[in-house]
Amino acid sequence: MLLAVTYHLWGFVSENWEELLDGLLKTLKVSAIAIVGAFLIGAVLGAARAHRIPVVSQLTAVYVEVIRNTPILVQIFLIFYALPQAGITLNQFTTAWLAVMIWGGAFNSENFRAGFEAVPYRYREAGYALGFSPRETFLYVTLPIGGRIALPSTINTYISVIKNTSLMYVIGYTELTTTAQNISAASLETLEALTVLGVVYLTLVWSLSAAIRLLENRLALPETR
Amino acid sequence: MSLPSWVEPVARYILTDGLPGTLRVSAVAVVGSAVIGVVLGTLITIKFRPLQALIRIYVEVFRGLPILVTVFIVHFGVPSFSPELRFAPLTSASIALVLWGSAQVAEATRGAVQSIPHEQHEAAAALGFGWTGRHAWVILPQALRRLLPPFISLLVNIIQNSTLALTIGGIEILQAGKSQQQRLTYPEPIGIGQEHAFEIFTGVAILFFLISFPLTRLAAVLEKRLA
Repeated sequence: MLLAVTYHLWGFVSENWEELLDGLLKTLKVSAIAIVGAFLIGAVLGAARAHRIPVVSQLTAVYVEVIRNTPILVQIFLIFYALPQAGITLNQFTTAWLAVMIWGGAFNSENFRAGFEAVPYRYREAGYALGFSPRETFLYVTLPIGGRIALPSTINTYISVIKNTSLMYVIGYTELTTTAQNISAASLETLEALTVLGVVYLTLVWSLSAAIRLLENRLALPETR
Repeated sequence: MSLPSWVEPVARYILTDGLPGTLRVSAVAVVGSAVIGVVLGTLITIKFRPLQALIRIYVEVFRGLPILVTVFIVHFGVPSFSPELRFAPLTSASIALVLWGSAQVAEATRGAVQSIPHEQHEAAAALGFGWTGRHAWVILPQALRRLLPPFISLLVNIIQNSTLALTIGGIEILQAGKSQQQRLTYPEPIGIGQEHAFEIFTGVAILFFLISFPLTRLAAVLEKRLA
């Protein structure tokens, strides 16, 4: 059998750019919401873990282990197919950002915990010596320094969050991957669709990785430089 | 308390049809990733620019792409070039996971090989070992020890990511659960006309947790001991 491979990347893009752009925007929107949420969840729960706040700390440990040890696709299925049985029906968009936010929040609370725990005790002592309350010491000493230490690993988690939005394919949410896959299934322009996906995701991921390297140098603590 | 009668056939299908799929994909993927990853990660330490650049591109591409896109490339993209490269869903999923996993292993191996002190290379060279012998008998055995915790984490990630096979029609644990959940919603005699997504997917999550949790604990313990 002879397979005629035709490849018209430009034609594919110019014919479908509106749909593809819409998909990309959905990917970015879901990622942005999830990243902000994962940042907040991570900073709060990471602080609770690092300061061994009773109950919250243990519950966070359970949350982290459950998320880390179950596939994210199972988590998506639980939110999208199982919650309606409990009377909670979420649409595809809400499921999309919620699932990756819960996932990213778990990994991020580990990142922040490690960052906060890496802040030398003498810095906090200095805060207390200046008359800061424990809350002020956290906000003005532990958070800025620990946050900087945790920054590279948190960005890595955000990169994974962006990549994981592609999994919303399984619930038919038309972000970039689902959109490209739908178009290629109809038009059989498989290679063109895959090229678009590869170029867009690698551009996003590689620019964020480059940002990590830049930030690592800019934000490194003076004494570790 | 006895379980409802729908549970037994659902659980049996997940364990007899789903679990083997997950285990097969995971076993192939972890062995393939380890072998290819260690070879690539060792080769990249050779100071030969074109080879280093090629391996770096491989690593950055397959670490950068969402695994789902790699799965689509293997399953839908590759057959465009030759119909003989059309694989069964579970095979495609295994290949995609090997591409992703070997990129991870290559990166970790490079770090581990470079962390072996230079004296070890010199001592091995002084004993008359060539490059291959030096790496096979002296450097890699030490590097692999440091790679053990990342290997176990990789295994956990691969087991979880093997669920991606369902996007191309492969039957693994999650897909088995999904098809049973759908079947139960059909009227009798096929199903029972009931929705049991909550119980089934919670069960699937517990199954994955039981497989993964001991492994993540093991990785953490080994990391502490080998540190």
